[in-house]
Amino acid sequence: MTRKQKRGVFIGFIFAAAALGVFAVLASLNSAIAYFYTPSDLQKLAKPPAGVIRLGGLVKQGSVAYPGGSTTVQFVVADKFAQTRVTYNGILPDLFREGQGVVVEGKLEPDGSVEASQVLAKHDEKYMPKELADALKKQGVWQEKNAPHS
Amino acid sequence: MIADLANPERFERFVKPFWLTASALAVILLALGFYFGLFHSPADYQQGDTVRIMYVHVPAAMMSMACYTAMAVASIVGFVWKHPLADVAAKASAPIGAVFTALALVTGSLWGKPMWGAWWVWDARLTSELILFFIYIGYIAIWEAVDDKIRAARLAAIVAIVGFVNIPIIKFSVDWWNSLHQGESIFRRGGPTIDGSMLLPLFLMIGAYMMVYAALLVPAMKNELSARRIARLERMGGVSGVRPE
Amino acid sequence: MKTFLAIILRDVTLGFRAGGGATQAAMFFALVSLVFALAIGPEPARLSALAAPILWAGALLSALVSLDRIFQSDYEDGTLDVLVETADLLELRVLAKAAAHWLSSLLPLIVAVPLFALLLNLPVEGYWPLLASLLVGTPALSLIGALAAALTLALRRASILVSILAAPLYAPALIFGVGAAEAGAAGAPSFVPTLLLVAASSLFALVFAPLAGAAAIRFNMS
Repeated sequence: MTRKQKRGVFIGFIFAAAALGVFAVLASLNSAIAYFYTPSDLQKLAKPPAGVIRLGGLVKQGSVAYPGGSTTVQFVVADKFAQTRVTYNGILPDLFREGQGVVVEGKLEPDGSVEASQVLAKHDEKYMPKELADALKKQGVWQEKNAPHS
Repeated sequence: MIADLANPERFERFVKPFWLTASALAVILLALGFYFGLFHSPADYQQGDTVRIMYVHVPAAMMSMACYTAMAVASIVGFVWKHPLADVAAKASAPIGAVFTALALVTGSLWGKPMWGAWWVWDARLTSELILFFIYIGYIAIWEAVDDKIRAARLAAIVAIVGFVNIPIIKFSVDWWNSLHQGESIFRRGGPTIDGSMLLPLFLMIGAYMMVYAALLVPAMKNELSARRIARLERMGGVSGVRPE
Repeated sequence: MKTFLAIILRDVTLGFRAGGGATQAAMFFALVSLVFALAIGPEPARLSALAAPILWAGALLSALVSLDRIFQSDYEDGTLDVLVETADLLELRVLAKAAAHWLSSLLPLIVAVPLFALLLNLPVEGYWPLLASLLVGTPALSLIGALAAALTLALRRASILVSILAAPLYAPALIFGVGAAEAGAAGAPSFVPTLLLVAASSLFALVFAPLAGAAAIRFNMS
């Protein structure tokens, strides 16, 4: 092969590799590569993962309970299609509340619930003053899901 | 004309008004930003006063990427057109960018402990930002390790250009993966999801950080130009330790 | 093409000769696995959960310590001058060097992985995912390593700098590699997509490492 042909082949090879790489990324982005599993992901697993897992979702409204008045808290993490019970003994972060996104780290029990060793609150991208939030709630125009664009 | 600016004295004369403006603006904007951020903006409905960390954290994170981008662009210019001023600009940007990165990591950590409940999590945004810090370190290290300035500039440029792949990963990590870190709040479709009263201090601080970058970059570039001039004169003199007037 | 294969053949042969270092990389890999196992303790459940990350980290560290062999001795004895002078396309020679590094330093180690996985109690269903992720991901280690080695060619005592330069770029292959191995072992649906990201890390390394490595060698030799 001449020098020129070699260069042509090499450039073609580079472009092919780059295109394949981009294709691989795009193909993988269609499915969730997660920092955490959602409750529906957990249901879909062929076999429950051993060891520590992370579970992400919203704390279900009205599900937070302190059985026996102890420091142990129980709540339900839910997404659109499924939910998982969580038990946790420890300090909850400031942002933890019902309806809030959380990521729970812990062990999956045989009954499908999670024994959490750590609870992380996920903050959304909304920022607004407390007074405004209160006023909106009072006026009844408050929506938990869609953020204010004020 | 641009080539002449590689001369330290001419460079200084040329950029002095620019530097003075940037420094003055940096001081004013920082003062205003801190005033509004700390005293004259509301507490968040969920985060309370902890939201104020955002005014230090978000601009630092933005500038950590902006500095790297500037460094990569300067590296490409230096690589292609072999202009010393571009090499010097890239080299001078690196420590500033590394400090912004460290600041973003530390303030983010301070925010994360009360809000998320953890100082640090290995999610995509945090990990890629930490990797950015190490790329800065590698870039600075190769400048330190190679004695010949011209060779060092070319090799460091390769590091900067290759490392640039990390920047879009940081930027889009919160969209591509289920990360714990929240998504984009300012530059998003449908407008920012930050209330106007909080956007003001945030934008003041973003402006302030940009001016801080400019105000630090200019003297760093001047020092590097002078150091090169001294090294050249020493080489020409043939005796090390001879200081030119 | 003939030179390309000849360079690979030469480097691999040299690597497997006594003192060539291919065995050293495997020994180092064994050492890393042993150190981790001792540090974690003999509890089988803990070891088996950590087996895949340990073996991936071991592969990464073995790659790091063997990087200086890619160009260093050739640079010192002048072979590299010949390789650069006679090259139609230096990029291809860098690629050949990286391929030889993978064949002589990392492939033997992957072959030995089942043995170490056994010692670390890796569950049976974790073997294939781990081997697949290593096979797909370790080429990125050699390619990026070749670039780092090319950058630090003319420096003495560059081994720490090589690691500082290469390690951040190793992160995607490591993170996704371990992720794919664990997802595969758990039977999670994210196994194939994660493996695709591992492949993407290697493919992107394949794109930029020869180009950037060749540029670095030219600057270092000029």
